[in-house]
Amino acid sequence: MNLFGQTISNLEQGLNYSSVKNQTIGNNIANVDTPGYKAKDVSFKDHLNAASFDARQTNQRHISFSGQEPSFNISARQDATYNHNGNSVDIDKEMSELAKNQMYYQALTERINGKFSSIKTAVGGR
Amino acid sequence: MKPIDPQFFTQATASLNPQQTQQNQVTASDVQQGFANELKNAINKVNSAQQASNQQTNALVNGEADNLHNVMIAAEKASVTLQTATEMQNKAVDAYNKVMRMQL
Amino acid sequence: MSIFDGLNANASALTANRFKMDVVSSNIANANTTRAEQNEDGEWVPYRRKIVSQESRGASFDSFLQKSLGRSDNPGQGVRINSVEEDQSPFKQVYQPSHPDANEDGYVQMPNVDPLEEMLELMSTSRSYEANVTALNASKGMMMKALEIGR
Repeated sequence: MNLFGQTISNLEQGLNYSSVKNQTIGNNIANVDTPGYKAKDVSFKDHLNAASFDARQTNQRHISFSGQEPSFNISARQDATYNHNGNSVDIDKEMSELAKNQMYYQALTERINGKFSSIKTAVGGR
Repeated sequence: MKPIDPQFFTQATASLNPQQTQQNQVTASDVQQGFANELKNAINKVNSAQQASNQQTNALVNGEADNLHNVMIAAEKASVTLQTATEMQNKAVDAYNKVMRMQL
Repeated sequence: MSIFDGLNANASALTANRFKMDVVSSNIANANTTRAEQNEDGEWVPYRRKIVSQESRGASFDSFLQKSLGRSDNPGQGVRINSVEEDQSPFKQVYQPSHPDANEDGYVQMPNVDPLEEMLELMSTSRSYEANVTALNASKGMMMKALEIGR
């Protein structure tokens, strides 16, 4: 019996991404004047649609691809400018990314709360 | 004083004609059909509202949402629709129980 | 288009203003630098005042398409620094025969930086930065309120 649909698992993935991104931004801000430090960013790694992608197994011992969760790729930020000591952290960009990420996390939390309370309403009846 | 119009009595008694009252009667099966349709409509509305809300929420997770307030409003609409349908179902069940408890 | 477009626009302005501040600081710091770089003849050339030019970031394909279709334009995506150019106005000539860089007539070429002009630029950039921070906080406040719908 599948109580929790695709939307809730999407929300979970989004919350995971947001949490990793928060750590990355915090680390960037901490290293704002470290010489040679490159600012990092988080992206979804080749977001495979787990429901529709299923590898054809020619041998039973081959590992199936289905059900693989998209993981996150932490890499250097692409459009960064470097200052004189090789540091590429733009403090304004990091602060605004922090604000945006907070907003994103709270929005997703609100939504997932709403979904759970809807499920409880439907299950509880009266 | 105005004389009473003889047509007045004819018209008054005509409305009490048993043939006409039968046409205005509502049968029990009509009532049942009406309520079943309402419940079906409510469930359809719940489904479409939930789907619309899911669509908006997925767009929010992927960063493609246009406006945050639209997402929240769609979610609230879906929630209220669901609660309304649940209440309607409760009322139907209560009415059934009441009828079954009647001593005949 | 995402819910964060407004925030992105203000954030781009914060970055641009910080960059302008850096340029203003460089101009003020080098207001008296007579030996900034060497030209082809091996002579020292004084520091040239740097000017920043910025442009609006909204000129994307999407906005051209919307305009040509007759629909309303999108609000734009903020600002970006176009280029950093050198001010081509002439150097200041100061009479100081004892200076090591004085020419035969005793005149030294000083950078074409006017400290008062730089101070004006500094104040305006600083105010612009504050205004953008206020706008960004206002956008964030609106979104927080939107999250309370139905709570």
